[in-house]
Amino acid sequence: MYPVWQLPVTGSALVIAFIASFHILPSHLATSAFWFNVYIEDKAYRQNRPELLEFIKRYVLTILIFSFVFGSLSGVGIWYSTTVSNPKGISALIHNYVWGWATEWVFFVIEVVAIYVYYYTFGKVDKKTHLTIGLIYALGSWISMITITGIIAFMLSPGKWLKTGGFFDGFFNPTYTPQLFMRTSFMFAVAALYAIVVAATLKNREVKSFIIRRASLWGIAGTLLGSLFFLWYYKSLPDAAKEMADMTPLIPKIIPHIVIGSLIVLMIWFIFTIIKPDWARLVPGIVAIMVLLGGIFSAESMRERIRKPYVIDHYMYSNQIISNDMPAKQVKSNIADINTQGILHYSYFVPENLRDVNNQNMLQAGRIIAQIECSACHTLQANGWLRPLPKMVKKAGLGNVDDAQAFIGFLNAFPFMPPFAGTDMEKKALAVYLASLYK
Amino acid sequence: MSVSEMLKSLQDPMGVPFYPFVFQILLVLTFALHIIFVNLVIGGSFMAVYSYFRTGKYYRSLSKTFARATTINLSLTIVLGVAPLLFVQVVYDPFWYTSNVLSASWMIGILFVLMLAFSFAYVFYLKSYKEKQRIAIWGILSFSLIILAAIIMHTISYQALLPEKWFGWYVNNNKVNLYGAQLHAFQLPRFFHFVVASFALTGIFMMLYSWYFWKREDIDNSYIVWVGKTGAKIALIFTLLQMIDGVWWLLSLPVNFHFYTNYIFLISVSVAVILLLVLIKAQSDPERYALPLAMIAMINVLAMSSLREVLRMLYVGRYNYSLYNYKLNISYGSTALFLVSFVMGIIIVGYMTTVVFKMGRSSKPVDLSSLKLRAWSVYLMIAWLLMMIVIGLTITVNHIQ
Repeated sequence: MYPVWQLPVTGSALVIAFIASFHILPSHLATSAFWFNVYIEDKAYRQNRPELLEFIKRYVLTILIFSFVFGSLSGVGIWYSTTVSNPKGISALIHNYVWGWATEWVFFVIEVVAIYVYYYTFGKVDKKTHLTIGLIYALGSWISMITITGIIAFMLSPGKWLKTGGFFDGFFNPTYTPQLFMRTSFMFAVAALYAIVVAATLKNREVKSFIIRRASLWGIAGTLLGSLFFLWYYKSLPDAAKEMADMTPLIPKIIPHIVIGSLIVLMIWFIFTIIKPDWARLVPGIVAIMVLLGGIFSAESMRERIRKPYVIDHYMYSNQIISNDMPAKQVKSNIADINTQGILHYSYFVPENLRDVNNQNMLQAGRIIAQIECSACHTLQANGWLRPLPKMVKKAGLGNVDDAQAFIGFLNAFPFMPPFAGTDMEKKALAVYLASLYK
Repeated sequence: MSVSEMLKSLQDPMGVPFYPFVFQILLVLTFALHIIFVNLVIGGSFMAVYSYFRTGKYYRSLSKTFARATTINLSLTIVLGVAPLLFVQVVYDPFWYTSNVLSASWMIGILFVLMLAFSFAYVFYLKSYKEKQRIAIWGILSFSLIILAAIIMHTISYQALLPEKWFGWYVNNNKVNLYGAQLHAFQLPRFFHFVVASFALTGIFMMLYSWYFWKREDIDNSYIVWVGKTGAKIALIFTLLQMIDGVWWLLSLPVNFHFYTNYIFLISVSVAVILLLVLIKAQSDPERYALPLAMIAMINVLAMSSLREVLRMLYVGRYNYSLYNYKLNISYGSTALFLVSFVMGIIIVGYMTTVVFKMGRSSKPVDLSSLKLRAWSVYLMIAWLLMMIVIGLTITVNHIQ
């Protein structure tokens, strides 16, 4: 096992959550925006309406700065944060999907080069060439979505991969197609929302209402299709994940309501802007984007939660312990080894005086065990933000060591919890530590 | 558990999806690309500020040029950094991951450092068009943050080479250091070797600038000549310094590496000497030598990047670790997917670079619609999509059966 990284209050998983949530905005903008952009530019040339080009220039600069600095850095940030919070998890993904990621990288490079070339060649090259660069960007960014969705969906529903270990068996997994269709549809809704925000700042009234009306139509189509595909996606979820979605302590009841509520608000906004494009303003436009992001954020967080207790379904638990044998890749579950050797021997990064549990070091040893096996999902401090252990202990009423030890023995009775791995002495040490948290 | 056993236990049990030397080549190649832009960012952001403080019309223009170039170069640095980041964790996962976790808070911090550095670089660039504003502070802040990011990256990479020290960094007096709040190792000559090179490459970049804009009638030719000459001077001085620092670094390496007898080392040194000689010759007529010099410099960077890999193999070899022994679980399909995409990417990026190159050479709008690669770039991407649809359908049909 790798060493453990933990921040005092936030833990480590929340760091991923913060960075990943932020990434939603620039990344979705980056993939969606150019479809609408190229569509309008094409209209401007075909119908000879140069006044539309003013919109495009404004539209691109924001994306350039926002998506290609904050977007690409937060994208790298997801990687960094998963690396330091869950190195074995990201390692498993990388060692299966390195070529997938490398492929995505190629298109990422294409995107970055394309957006700069697009921006700086404006008016300096012929129309056809400029449109082509825009189209290259749009296609490139969509392809990067096509690639990354395969890896994200794989974590939730690896499907046949568990048997074959095949790259494409895991890539084209049961939730891939509905998820890709859903993301692609919402992509157009994001583009529309952003177009309305930019158009709201335009002075030319005619251009403004033309663009807002067109964008609203895109938005309505995207939202409707996206919602339909969302239902398909939900149907395609593995049964265990569906059960998990209904579990109250894991998924707060409010989350599905936020998702549905945000879709309704969006539809109302698009209908409003079709009827009264003149009334579209910057602030409500930005609010509408935030509403959509709230919806996406809730859906993404649901996807992360219903995967529990795994980081890769039926292969690795959230605490980086390999749960199942995987003969196709000659991998054995870690659990048997950890149960015989003890987690404190199995892991290299453990203080020497705690490797063998005895009556003197029990409390400290228990704490290290909790750091290794529990801290991925629970902060150890009472004031922690992520399902803090002291609160859990209190809720379960684990006031004495015997109760705590019995509880640890039946952890996997909760479908979202991995089982304890380690020797009986280690189990006792963890129980001593947990009971000590009861106040 | 010995250090060597620990490293083995951390390697991913699934193995790697293709022969490790392919990842190694890609790692060296993409790192070279990445570091060229790192160098241009460090050198360029410094030159933007330095020229701002110098008086004269030429320096003022130069400052603006570098301020603008830095924003673009920083984006490219980040995107080109993704590939070596990916490949290093395929074949050196125990080293890379552990080093990252041990200084995790810094590794997360670098994101914010870079976001700020970029924002300040943008402010500096956008304000540089307004005369008489006190804007130097933005440039200075941006440059300092970029150096801080370089220090963090250097430390993470260097810590990765010292696995026998990891335990002591993590466990101290039987207490565990969970916060990853410290940077544990630093090697000055190695760090300098990246920073000094930045100025040498930035000098060559200035010579290329002069070569590129030579034919533009609308740009003052004496300015272009001045940029080339200044660049040639900077490149020469810093190439010399780089060699001195190289000797210092060489002397600070573990003696039993016998690094000076390594043939890649000898090739790198030879290329560096050729670079120096051509630079001396180029001082009188920089524009003419710009292109060959840039080529030699590229070869030099590639040689240095290979040398860095050789050095890493020596470091990790001390613990019987060799990436060539990594467990294999070959996936031909996904390897082919990448290679096809990679070749496609080179063609499409090549097309776009051609467009920019031709546009910049002319003072008037240019018609490039007849470039053959224009349509091909789009066709290739559509072909890629069709290919994925076919694979996807085949797989799905197979799964149903």
